[in-house]
Amino acid sequence: MNDRAKAAPTPAGSLNSDPALGADMRTAIERFLIEYARCLDEDRLEAWPDFFLADACYQVLSRENVEHGLPAPIIYHYSRGMIEDRVTSLRDALTYEPVYTRHMVSNVYVVGVEAGVYRVTSNYAVYHTTVEGRTDLYSVGRYDDAIVVRDGQLKFKTRTVIADTFAIKNNMALPL
Amino acid sequence: MTEANGAAAVPGENFTRVPFALFSDPATFARERDALFRGPTWNYLGLAVEIPNPGDYLLGYVGDVQVVVNRTPAGGIAAFENSCAHRGAQLVRRTRGNAAQHAHTCPYHQWRFDTAGALLSVPQEHGVKGKGGMPVDFDKRRHGLRTLRVETYKGLIFGTFAPEVPSLYDYLGPKIRPEIDRIFDRPVVVLGHWRQAIPANWKLYLENVKDPYHASLLHLYHTTFGIYRATMSGRVIMDDTCGHSVLRTADIGENPTEMKALYKDIDKYRPDYKLKDPSLFDTKPDYDDRVTNMIMTVFPNLMLGQVASTFQTRHVRPKGVDSFELYWTYLGFASDDAAAREGRLRQANFVGPAGYISLEDGEAGRLVQRGTHGLNDRASVVEMGGHGAIADQDTLATEVAVRGFWKRYHELMRAAV
Ligand code: FES
Ligand SMILES: [Fe+2]
Repeated sequence: MNDRAKAAPTPAGSLNSDPALGADMRTAIERFLIEYARCLDEDRLEAWPDFFLADACYQVLSRENVEHGLPAPIIYHYSRGMIEDRVTSLRDALTYEPVYTRHMVSNVYVVGVEAGVYRVTSNYAVYHTTVEGRTDLYSVGRYDDAIVVRDGQLKFKTRTVIADTFAIKNNMALPL
Repeated sequence: MTEANGAAAVPGENFTRVPFALFSDPATFARERDALFRGPTWNYLGLAVEIPNPGDYLLGYVGDVQVVVNRTPAGGIAAFENSCAHRGAQLVRRTRGNAAQHAHTCPYHQWRFDTAGALLSVPQEHGVKGKGGMPVDFDKRRHGLRTLRVETYKGLIFGTFAPEVPSLYDYLGPKIRPEIDRIFDRPVVVLGHWRQAIPANWKLYLENVKDPYHASLLHLYHTTFGIYRATMSGRVIMDDTCGHSVLRTADIGENPTEMKALYKDIDKYRPDYKLKDPSLFDTKPDYDDRVTNMIMTVFPNLMLGQVASTFQTRHVRPKGVDSFELYWTYLGFASDDAAAREGRLRQANFVGPAGYISLEDGEAGRLVQRGTHGLNDRASVVEMGGHGAIADQDTLATEVAVRGFWKRYHELMRAAV
């Protein structure tokens, strides 16, 4: 028996080298992913919902559950309204540790485009830094995204975060 | 009342004073391993539905000791320490799976064990080319894996290392069993697992779930949206040992004016607050008892919980004196239709590592671990609900079950000295 942890499925085929995608679109997608990370790292939570369509779905899944085919999500916000509700809760209701966050996004990979929906995967590493300046690696994993162009702007139709760090460091108040 | 030496710290004043040292003293942690987890307790190992077929196994924990829980060829359940009988190597490396040919082979020197822990074979037992090998008096029957006694109740698997502990049925007792019956009288399905690595002593989580007082104050999300309010009817019950408890909340007999008065000084309470998308509350109740919130604990470290339409087991797995893993098993019912199943997945937003309610309990643990650090001459004040007899109460403004936990804890720790 191969005893190594089963790798999460990596989609085959890439448009990265396909001239049909166009260098401009590749650049735009990368820029969009970086803008998302900057928005969270600069604590502009109120702008976070703007990255999503009205009927978008933002999910965080545990890699352990994904590999075992179990559906329970860690976060399951299936509308932009729910994404906005998380922002309000984070600002006004929830008690959680104040930290600085730092998102590193890499290995951006455009898997394909169909009917105007770009399938994109990327890796992330998110660090948390306490109010006393101590930094820990909070979570690593992967984004699986469906991105569309709406009124000249890129938006997430779905953003699924699959956390390799499925033993969540304390809790997950802030989005990844 | 408290002593500078943390190892000797004991809860005082009829269990209304809990020395902070109990959350950070390494000697206490080491004694808990013997007095509680290897002592006269039943420890939650998993659910029978997680290992349905012969050869299926999962990894569980008794305290911080890893154990393997197996479905045997005959359909029974057997459990043993995940530590080879030879030189102690970790035997099973995956968190769950199916053992080929109903055997586990140690990766180090390939000793082979059956799913009940018996030693089947030892490579080179009789040496190589007539030299070496095990001594002639080596008897494989005496070198099996160290096993636990296993019993189940309604599909919950428990194990114990102690020979003298009563049956699981009696250990749970007549006040705890009905809460298990209520949920497990229909077939359950596992919808997933969550893990939280919480930087706190494991007992702080037990205190948290035995404390209904905090729920309406820390968790303003579910106060605001009616899953739980201090004015709901609530009840705290304990078994005879006071180590197990049940906290139930039902939305009956409430008065909104009273609610306003109770929260008049709390800025975080926002009755004007409206969700943009409240659809996650659209689930049908699973029972007609109007219970919105139930948390049961089985001493020492299992919880069975209901929050709205979510049902979960939560297992507190100590990882050291100042950290534990909270291991959630998120449940649905086999009878769920598509809408009910979707509702349970939606309400995962309430519980688990990122849940609007549960994420704050991790933070509560961190806050107390941080806040008590280095203050070994102090103790917490646990008097909500009075300092008299430790007995059931019909209110949520009480910490009596926290005192009950410490009473049972102290009895077992003292008995082991
Ligand atoms: S330690 Fe397991 S076979 Fe040697
Ligand atoms: Fe809580």
